[in-house]
Amino acid sequence: MSRSVWKGPFVDAYVLKKAEAVREGGRNEVIKIWSRRSTILPQFVGPTFGVYNGQKHIPVNVTEDMIGQKFGEYSPTRTYYGHAADKKAKRK
Amino acid sequence: MSKSPGPDRKDRIAVGALAGAFGVHGEVRLKSYCADPMAIADYGPLHTEDGTSYSQIVFTGQAPNALIARVQGIISKEQADALKGQLLYADRDRLPPLEDEEYYYSDLIGLAVQDTGGNALGTVRAVHNHGAGDLIEVIGSGKSATILLPFTRAVVPTVDLAARRIVVDPPEGLL
Repeated sequence: MSRSVWKGPFVDAYVLKKAEAVREGGRNEVIKIWSRRSTILPQFVGPTFGVYNGQKHIPVNVTEDMIGQKFGEYSPTRTYYGHAADKKAKRK
Repeated sequence: MSKSPGPDRKDRIAVGALAGAFGVHGEVRLKSYCADPMAIADYGPLHTEDGTSYSQIVFTGQAPNALIARVQGIISKEQADALKGQLLYADRDRLPPLEDEEYYYSDLIGLAVQDTGGNALGTVRAVHNHGAGDLIEVIGSGKSATILLPFTRAVVPTVDLAARRIVVDPPEGLL
């Protein structure tokens, strides 16, 4: 069963506070969070979050198409080293 | 099938592996490591570790976790089974050209990493993409812990493939 709409998206309060502080400060820093369950809100777009995966903080650059997902979806808890083969990385 | 120097050359990249026979008529199970699995056929000739080259691969179907293919020079189940586990290498120059700001993972892995002050931070161990952009994993010399850096112009302002180094300017809290 999905979450009731009247409740709104769930976000841990400290994530909102930290994001607000960084946005107001205008500093270029990673916002370290442990809350993998928090929903990505429109006001989180822009800064880089360090989302804890149980071992370390994985950098997550939040973009518009990530709104509505949870932070934990972008911070896997298991590392897989495959073959590089013909895979490409694009510098944005 | 032909013989050529082995894969211990930097200009060759592992793009797949032979996973044994499929059926009894010489078809092979082929594991592709490419972003588009079928693209492995475009990178021929493919070379094995013993220096054998296979110039033609024709896909005939799919099996769980593998592609089924006919490989030129492999005509029996015994031949296919004998090659089970062999990695297939493609020449680096067979890979398609890249757009601006695009890099092959294989080109980035192994590059030296320096900060903007010229201090060595380590080498690139791997490149990941968990859905939120590409990340480079940097391992310091003599260290077991790694750091992950977003592969963006802000964090990685310089990628110098000729000098085999990248310069990073990580934001506060990442190192």
